[in-house]
Amino acid sequence: MNNIILDIRGQICPACLLISLKELNNNRESIKKGEASLVVLTDHRDATRTIPNAVTAMGYSVNVEKKDGYYEITIKKER
Amino acid sequence: MRSRLKKRDRKKVRIGGKSNSRSKGKVRDEKSVKLLYKYIRDKVNQLLEIMGTKPLREEELDEKSIIEFDPIGIIAESFKEILEHLREKNLQLQQARDYLQAVFDAVGVGISIVDKDLRIIKCNERQKELLVRDIKDIEGRHCYEVYCGIDSPPLICPAIETIERNREVFLKEVTKKGRIFQINTSPLRDRNGNITGVIEVSVDITDKKKTEEALYQAEKLAAVGRLAAGIAHELNNPLGNIIGYAKLLLQSGNLGDWEREKLSVIIEQAQKGSDIIRGLLEFSHQRPLELREVNINNSIERVLSSMESLFKIGNIRVKKEFNLIPPVMADEKQIEQVFYNIILNAVQALEGRSEGCIEINTMNLNSSVQVSIKDNGPGIPKEHLSLIFDPFFTTKPPGKGTGLGLSICSEIIKKHGGSIWVESRPGEGAVFNILLPLRMSLD
Repeated sequence: MNNIILDIRGQICPACLLISLKELNNNRESIKKGEASLVVLTDHRDATRTIPNAVTAMGYSVNVEKKDGYYEITIKKER
Repeated sequence: MRSRLKKRDRKKVRIGGKSNSRSKGKVRDEKSVKLLYKYIRDKVNQLLEIMGTKPLREEELDEKSIIEFDPIGIIAESFKEILEHLREKNLQLQQARDYLQAVFDAVGVGISIVDKDLRIIKCNERQKELLVRDIKDIEGRHCYEVYCGIDSPPLICPAIETIERNREVFLKEVTKKGRIFQINTSPLRDRNGNITGVIEVSVDITDKKKTEEALYQAEKLAAVGRLAAGIAHELNNPLGNIIGYAKLLLQSGNLGDWEREKLSVIIEQAQKGSDIIRGLLEFSHQRPLELREVNINNSIERVLSSMESLFKIGNIRVKKEFNLIPPVMADEKQIEQVFYNIILNAVQALEGRSEGCIEINTMNLNSSVQVSIKDNGPGIPKEHLSLIFDPFFTTKPPGKGTGLGLSICSEIIKKHGGSIWVESRPGEGAVFNILLPLRMSLD
């Protein structure tokens, strides 16, 4: 599976959410088909709430992982 | 209409431009643009709030990039996807609900959901069939009122026990509206585990109970039968001795009339005892069937001719309606005994009647042969109908019957894989029906 990395470290909300949604919208086809997943790298804690909330409502599955100094939010096709 | 509106709009813009000086117009344009940006920012913030995030800060997206970045477009796209997802989920939910409803209704037990005040929230079709029948609009009514037909909860109520103790309750046997049920109640809980109502499951065990009772009765009878057969065998020898010695005495010449008369009574009574024992032994004896192809019409004819003298004495007319029937796999001797017993019963029922009549009918029914033996005697009282095939049941005066005739018939017919039943109403005679399969199944 193709991982689309979106590094928005340094950005804060609501821009984090908007940028992530824009990227998701641009890659909707491949993500919905399960061919790709979107990996958002952010150091803004609020984004670990707003992004998962929005994308689960859109029918994606999401996983948040804490890395060293940032978070990795992986957005995939719903199982 | 559309062109007229357009014209007016254009006109307005032109009028606005004409009525101001150029510098004034520029200030005004800048103001309008600012207002427009503010409007866009407000709307974006409103949408962001719906998405659960913070409003935009001035430095985050300046006026130029707010247009270029197109946040409204991004959110609109996301909303479109949310709606699609919701629609899909709704459809799935609807399907799941339909499946559940179908299962809920198709399951063979009655299910009812009641709230904590014992008001019915929902119940399935089976529950309605079992306990509701003619009551309409049951939702919202108390379960004890609808299902038990009473005004207040019963003393032992599994639903109340479930609510009070927050646990499942099982009632092994309870009678409601003339039927017997097994009731199981379990708590209905919300997401937090708080009890919000009760799920009541009712299993109708009326037929099962009846079968169990019949089985119990049959086992009891079988035990009595075995015991009686054992005793009967032991009694046969002393009875034989009594009869033998009484006959010896009778043959000796030096007896007075009085003694002779008494000896005859002894022989007669001992003979009756011996007859009862023979009947009992026949009933209890599991003789294997000697099967061969039997023409039932011929069998009945043979029985009838052996009973001719009885019909003559009783002044009984015999009406036969024999249809063409295929041969039946049966034990001829035993089957003839059945016909003999039933016809003899009819003859005895017609005793004293001036126009006694026995009608015998045979017919072919798919893979069986049915024989009906009808008399116009006094009929059988309703309370006796379920007892007449039981051993030792008799309505004849003491000494006249053993009460074994019909139970022997029933035993023989059962061994042939057939069935025997009686239809009768007091005053309207009785019909004994026998159904014999053409071929017995292997088991």
